[in-house]
Amino acid sequence: MEQQAIWAIGIFLVIYALIISEKIHRTIVAMIGGLLMVALGIVNQETALHHIDFNTLGLLIGMMIIVSITADTGLFKFIAIWAAKKSKGNPVRILIALSLITAIGSAFLDNVTTVLLMVPVTFSITRQLRVPPLPFLITQIIASNVGGTATLIGDPPNIMIGSAVKELTFMAFINNLAPIAAIILVIFIPLFVLLFRKQIQTKPEYTQSIMDMDEKQLIADHKLLRKCLTVLGLTIIGFFLHQSLHLESATVALAGAFVLLLLTGEHMMEEAFTKVEWATIFFFVGLFVLVSGLIETGVIAELAAQAIELTNGDIVATSMLILWLSAIASAFLDNIPFVATMIPLIQEMGNMGVSNLEPLWWSLALGACLGGNGTLIGASANLIVAGMSSKEGHPIKFVQFMKYGFPLMLLSIVLASVYVFLRYLI
Amino acid sequence: MRLTYQFNEAVIQIIETPNETDVEFDIRILAENKWAGMKEIQKKFEENSVLTDVLFYEYENHHYRVIARQDYYVDFVLELLKHRLLEKVEWN
Repeated sequence: MEQQAIWAIGIFLVIYALIISEKIHRTIVAMIGGLLMVALGIVNQETALHHIDFNTLGLLIGMMIIVSITADTGLFKFIAIWAAKKSKGNPVRILIALSLITAIGSAFLDNVTTVLLMVPVTFSITRQLRVPPLPFLITQIIASNVGGTATLIGDPPNIMIGSAVKELTFMAFINNLAPIAAIILVIFIPLFVLLFRKQIQTKPEYTQSIMDMDEKQLIADHKLLRKCLTVLGLTIIGFFLHQSLHLESATVALAGAFVLLLLTGEHMMEEAFTKVEWATIFFFVGLFVLVSGLIETGVIAELAAQAIELTNGDIVATSMLILWLSAIASAFLDNIPFVATMIPLIQEMGNMGVSNLEPLWWSLALGACLGGNGTLIGASANLIVAGMSSKEGHPIKFVQFMKYGFPLMLLSIVLASVYVFLRYLI
Repeated sequence: MRLTYQFNEAVIQIIETPNETDVEFDIRILAENKWAGMKEIQKKFEENSVLTDVLFYEYENHHYRVIARQDYYVDFVLELLKHRLLEKVEWN
């Protein structure tokens, strides 16, 4: 192995270990890793820039702007309280309703943004009902990862896969992943009820206080709401049509964001830009450059060759290996760097003669997204909810989450294995 | 020391019920010129970084239920004073 490749592996492993240890912010670590790849001459700056996937970044930034402006209208609070009233203030029904809203929101906004919007309203509702918030938060984490699995924009791993593989359009993700995500959710909802119903009992007077609320008062700005709903609707239609329109998903999201800023006026721009999670954006930049070091030195090609050797090139074995490996790895590691490494590996398998890569891509997406439910550190959405909850005096313990999340994750991966096998491999 | 307050009953009606970890307020804003003030207080607490400091539940006819965490009780009362929904606040 060439000296450059050894350096690339060394940097990658050290950076990966530092990301897992969470001693230093993952963005700083990933950026330093990427910069080291360039500074040590493993990749030159131009090649490094070429490896940064601006489609992933543009899609994330565009959606963050649209959602941050829409959140200011009070729409998401309105939906949650409306759903709570439709549930007759019954905590079990509210738990189901909020899980479903989280899953659907995660599919069409992205799961990190959705949980950021759902956590405050969850605290508000549970305080009023005098029930513990954790069952609601845990079920929302799980629902966000399942819902996010369903679309190209739902979960960062899908954004990265969709961006790297041009044939996998928004509709392709829906056609291939939404059915299994819906099946998993339908199976999970009664399990949520079974697991948590005893913990969320309330009194009739608290239920009544929910029923008496006037959710219409929560809409802070009707004019802005109309603009946001129009742009959000057009953006989602744009995602459905992006292949026919010959547009990348990032172009659709950024067009939506800047049309909305045009309609709302300059005064919203500064605030909207401050709400973009730049730490996440730079985390992606660092990772893309970090992984480029492994690609350019041939390490990924070597790994792909070994994976093919291990499975004898058998597509069933390779799919199942990717699905389960992605799920277990994503449960214990951040799924974003894992997917950043796996994408070129699968692409390399294609270069080595594996003709049908489609089952492999869906296996990676399902494993990485659903695997995030395994532990509290499995996905960005989990960490965000846990952080917000802990700050409010309701910490979600690692083992406490794992007790629910890990078995449910295993169940979802078994279901996904059956789905992948039946749909693509026989 | 306990914080006490006075208000004009033609402007606002407040019923306070302390619980274990928080204080619950049943508030009715009667004077039209004070509606905006209450909205501003709500906005302030909803936009800060603490999610459960003071929670607002809005009903019809400018009727609010407010749940203030014990450690944010003083902050909330002082906001009411700042927006002239209270006439006087003092330590007893």
